Amino acid sequence: MDASLLSIQPNAPEPLYRQITGQIRRLVAGGQLRAGQALPSVREVAGLHAINPMTVSRAYSQLEAEGLLVRLRGKGMVVADLATPPDLAARWALVDPALDALARHARELELPADALLDRLKTRLKEDLP
Amino acid sequence: MNAMLDVSDSAPLLSPPAAPLAADGLIKQYDHDSVLKGVSLTVEPGTVLGLIGRNGAGKSTLIRAMLGLIEPDAGTATVWGEPALRMGDAAKQRLGYVPQQPEAMAWLQVGEMLDFIGRFYPRWNAAYVDATLERWQLPRNRLLAKLSPGERQRVAIIRALASQPELLVLDEPASALDPVGRRELLREIASRAGDSGTTVLFSTHIVSDLERVASHVAFLHAGRLLLHSELDSLKERNLRLHVPEAVAAQLRDDVPGEVSRRPHPYGGLSITVLRGEDAPWPDLVQVPGVRAEALPLEDLFIEVSA
Repeated sequence: MDASLLSIQPNAPEPLYRQITGQIRRLVAGGQLRAGQALPSVREVAGLHAINPMTVSRAYSQLEAEGLLVRLRGKGMVVADLATPPDLAARWALVDPALDALARHARELELPADALLDRLKTRLKEDLP
Repeated sequence: MNAMLDVSDSAPLLSPPAAPLAADGLIKQYDHDSVLKGVSLTVEPGTVLGLIGRNGAGKSTLIRAMLGLIEPDAGTATVWGEPALRMGDAAKQRLGYVPQQPEAMAWLQVGEMLDFIGRFYPRWNAAYVDATLERWQLPRNRLLAKLSPGERQRVAIIRALASQPELLVLDEPASALDPVGRRELLREIASRAGDSGTTVLFSTHIVSDLERVASHVAFLHAGRLLLHSELDSLKERNLRLHVPEAVAAQLRDDVPGEVSRRPHPYGGLSITVLRGEDAPWPDLVQVPGVRAEALPLEDLFIEVSA
């Protein structure tokens, strides 16, 4: 996996370590990161994004404690062999918070539901970065 | 008797090492203008503390007082436990400082100045100097007087980093750098902290710079320290609550952890709360109709200083 696949937004309310754990969880759940695949080193991620290496370590350690990543001698952090691949429910659970936020914003701004769905469909067809 | 001796013998082992920097109740006035109004701040070993505040908040004065470069009207500052105003050579050799306006030894060339300074530092890394001068395209034979402000700042940064300090203090290091230079500097600060455990104190008014590399943040406003916290914790402990009118009408007292309260543009109240490290969220969060969202750090600073 390339360190540039992670997107770091320093200005976001979410702490950087949680941005990293969230993205790696989604990449694994979505199958872009597979069991045995190596993650970029702490130094690579920190260097590319000009962030504190301790932040990256914290994110990796947390995912290691959760069993999503394992530390292999000579290879660094790799995606663990999960007993069962993440099922559909687990993948939905990862996207639900974003859907909740979207629904909340739409209600606040009183946007019509059909138009919102159309916009979502258009985006799903596009290749987003 | 023996027990007492045991205790006194083991006491030094138990006491934690002195903090690289500590200020206690610093007060400083210039021409009856209070710049520091009683600031206490400790920088723990191995942390990267971002000192944030608007121009004129007192950041430079605080840094200079913490390093013993100016004498406060009241309060004390220590560097590794030594009074900052009487810092010995040993402590100075472990400290790298990049002032906001680097002193110019204008008659010297870049290389001459760095070679000269290097003799005072036992751990001076000449190879780092050469590599970084080349990477930043700073010719050794350029007169310091001929450098642009940004180049002068880069030379000052190289000077501070080449001494391989245990404590690195930078006062608005990004002020004269372009975005690429700023990114390079942040990367350097971050890697020093991560690889060598260097303790860092840096001041800035650019919140996103702080958010990239700082482990801790201190917010100075009008001479007072309004916040000092671990950065991630600060982001996880704040919420802005949008309280609808019906609920707002029932509110009698301050909400626990309340930082600011103002009318919401669409009715009701907008209340910002910052809960304690181990405190729960206020009950108000659970009240139906109340919406909660975490604030970007920049907005939190605005609320705290309102």
